[in-house]
Amino acid sequence: MRAVKVEHMNNDIINNIGLNHYLILAALLFVTGMAGVLLRRNIIVLLMSIELMLNSVNLTFVAFSKYLGILDGHIMVFFVMTIAAAEAAVGLALAVSIFKRFNEVNIRFFEHLKG
Amino acid sequence: MNHSLLMALLILAPFVGFLINGARYKKHSANVAGVIATAAVAISFISAVLLVLDLVAMPVESRKIAVSFFEWMAVDKFKINAGFVVDQISAIMILVITGVGTLIHLFSVGYMHHDKGVAKYFAYLNLFIFNMLLLVLGDNLLVMFVGWEGVGLCSYLLIGFWFTDKEKAAAGMKAFVTNRIGDAAFLLGMFVLFITFGTLNFSELNALAPTVAEASWLGAVTLGTLFLFIGATGKSAQIPLYVWLPDAMAGPTPVSALIHAATMVTAGVYMIVRLNPLFIMAPNTMMVIAVIGAATAVFAATIGMTQWDIKKVLAYSTVSQLGYMFLACGVGAFGAAMFHLMTHAFFKALMFLGSGSVIHAMHEEQDIRKMGGLKKYMPITHITFLLGWLAIIGMPPFAGFFSKDEILAYAFNSPFGSPVLWAAGALGATLTAFYMTRLMALTFWGKSRVPSDIHPHESPAIMTIPLIVLAILSVIGGWIGIPHVIGEHLGHIPNMWEHWLHPVISPIPGWQAIDHTTEWTLMGVSVGLALISAIVAYQFYVKAPETPKKIAESIKPVYNLVYNKYFVDEAYFGGIINPLVNISRNTWYYIDVNFIDKMTYWAGDLMRGMGSMVRSVQTGNMQQYAMYIGIGVVVALSFVVMR
Amino acid sequence: MTADAFLFWFLAIVTLVSGLSVILLANPIYSALCLAMTMVGVSALFVTLNAYFIAGVQLIVYAGAVMVLFVMVIMLFDLKKDLQAFTRGILSGALKIASVGLLAGLVVGAIAISTGLLAEKTTDNPVTMGTGMESTKALGNILFSKYIFGFEALGVLLLVIAVGAVALARSKGGTHEQ
Repeated sequence: MRAVKVEHMNNDIINNIGLNHYLILAALLFVTGMAGVLLRRNIIVLLMSIELMLNSVNLTFVAFSKYLGILDGHIMVFFVMTIAAAEAAVGLALAVSIFKRFNEVNIRFFEHLKG
Repeated sequence: MNHSLLMALLILAPFVGFLINGARYKKHSANVAGVIATAAVAISFISAVLLVLDLVAMPVESRKIAVSFFEWMAVDKFKINAGFVVDQISAIMILVITGVGTLIHLFSVGYMHHDKGVAKYFAYLNLFIFNMLLLVLGDNLLVMFVGWEGVGLCSYLLIGFWFTDKEKAAAGMKAFVTNRIGDAAFLLGMFVLFITFGTLNFSELNALAPTVAEASWLGAVTLGTLFLFIGATGKSAQIPLYVWLPDAMAGPTPVSALIHAATMVTAGVYMIVRLNPLFIMAPNTMMVIAVIGAATAVFAATIGMTQWDIKKVLAYSTVSQLGYMFLACGVGAFGAAMFHLMTHAFFKALMFLGSGSVIHAMHEEQDIRKMGGLKKYMPITHITFLLGWLAIIGMPPFAGFFSKDEILAYAFNSPFGSPVLWAAGALGATLTAFYMTRLMALTFWGKSRVPSDIHPHESPAIMTIPLIVLAILSVIGGWIGIPHVIGEHLGHIPNMWEHWLHPVISPIPGWQAIDHTTEWTLMGVSVGLALISAIVAYQFYVKAPETPKKIAESIKPVYNLVYNKYFVDEAYFGGIINPLVNISRNTWYYIDVNFIDKMTYWAGDLMRGMGSMVRSVQTGNMQQYAMYIGIGVVVALSFVVMR
Repeated sequence: MTADAFLFWFLAIVTLVSGLSVILLANPIYSALCLAMTMVGVSALFVTLNAYFIAGVQLIVYAGAVMVLFVMVIMLFDLKKDLQAFTRGILSGALKIASVGLLAGLVVGAIAISTGLLAEKTTDNPVTMGTGMESTKALGNILFSKYIFGFEALGVLLLVIAVGAVALARSKGGTHEQ
């Protein structure tokens, strides 16, 4: 009897895709992005990790939007997407300036705030 | 005239003089500065005369002019007004201060004619008169104390007037510091009296006094008056705080005349006479005062016999005569003390000014071994000095005779006195006659020992006129206090002095009037002793100058002891001053430098170290900062979730 | 397993693996390509959530424009291999990974605790109802009525960004004047 029940519950989690699944996926994407920000030294890769975090947030918003049945989540995604794109553009412009000035994009050379 | 206006003029005229001369302190003109200063004091003198005339016109029961200008402090029960009182005692004082003061200002115009800082000098003199008037006119101990401190300050400024000479500056400092020790005692006395009586006002204190007769040493009145007396020993140069007065001769001679003969040094006597109802109630204090007064009189007289500087002789003479005044206070003869104060002011100021005239003529030479036979060159100075000499040795009918004999009579007869005290006083009188005659002989009489490059001449009129006026006062000044024994034979001349002071002097408990025969005997003995002493001194110093030298040789150790002022200054330095300096120095080094400074450095280093530690968080590594943010988010979230 | 379930799991795995590759690969070009893959995966996930319009916009804006921008810039730098691609220091690295892991755990835990608090709307759900066109129409409606202010503000923002990016990356370098 017990084995059947466990299988039932397992099947439930695997088969019944609910809000939790999407939210956990988004959380995992988010922490992946955060790990990238903390661990990688190339400026470009840093910016890409930030994009990853923003994407995970988008996923969360849309999941909630479907779950609650309102469209405001989609609007939020709109805004987030726009701003993320804008921020990527500016960030890349900055990276280009830095490269022109220092000929390096590895942030281990930029510890000027030390002290 | 309005009493408030007169009182304000009296007190403030010298202060205005101080301000004007002080503002012009760089000017060199002695005449202008002198005129301003003398005019200021003369205005004070005229106001004083007018006030006293008004006072005389009042009936005896209410003989007091009291003016209160404003309320100075009022803290709970402690109320002090800026109040001033002219009554019988302060009337005498203000006349002496402003009168003798005006004469000395006139003298100074001549004496300080060539000095560069003459405007500053006159400013200080005026400031002194102002403070002295505050002292004598104040109606409570605190206003008196303001004046007390003020005259101490002016004394310092004037003694060290030629401050570029280190010794003179040191003399000024010695005077001030010694005075301060006395002032500390004065303050303690004020505290004790305030705690006991709740007031510092003279009339209130004197009214409350008869309720507290005391016999013990630790009673409040005894302690309070004892402390006040110690303050008086500082200001009036008695044992043990007299050491500043001989050194104070470093100042200009008119300053010595005014401050250290006639006025400031009498402040202590004045204070005791003011509070005489209180002092009468403390027999132990009276005994202390009488003993110290008599001891000082004899002690200083012995030192005066060996000194060679004309001003030092007069200085020790002043200490000795002040001893007489304290002796009088100690035996209850307050009126006699005031009388001697006044006569002493006349003849001592006269002799100081006379010595100033001599020093001026001798081109700043002060050693009497280099003088002699000056009477030919300076007749006026000689005659006036002679009159002062006769007064101080107590020859009738000059002023000193009446005042000194009254003191000796009271010392013998009063319940507070004793024959021993009288004997000490008589001994002091004998010694006084000796050293004053010695001074006269060595300076004016006999063969001239003046060095050939100095040509002494008489001083100008501006200096001799004050001498003449003071000489006249030395002659007639005693005649307002002729005792009954003499007065009844001269057509019932009353003792005006005693009548004037009668309402404000407490009667001595247990006083019995002195027997006439005894009084005549005492007078005869003291005059006789003085006469013999003077003749002996004349013999020694005019007729046979080798004799004193031989006597000094034969008692060489004793002579050395007295000549070196009994090594008192050295004892003070070795026993008190140097140990204190050493303690200060050690405290500075071991505690301040080694310990406290090290503590502060350590605190600073600690801060710097902590700063470095915290600084290590700022690595400039952006990812570390991001990590910190992340950790913060984790912590915050965990709080939210765990709730 | 049902079809949607299988679709979800497949897409989830693809997205996650691409995401991890973004941060783990040393060559930045490979990272960029993997990020593009992640974007596509997320877009597909949007489709499974009935957000068709958003899925399209994701593909166009993110995978189409932003990633191209990234690749262009990487090409500009001509980096073949990153020296010292990852942060140095074992301790700090461990600390970083630990904090990240904790965060993940917390979020997942929070989700697990708090689900069941929200009521799922199944009827009258404008998202799931109808074909893609109706929800898009409703989206446009809301955008231009309720969120009009944000919409306009975004327009201004984009203008500022355009100007700023040009100013920053000019040939003479940044905002320095000649």
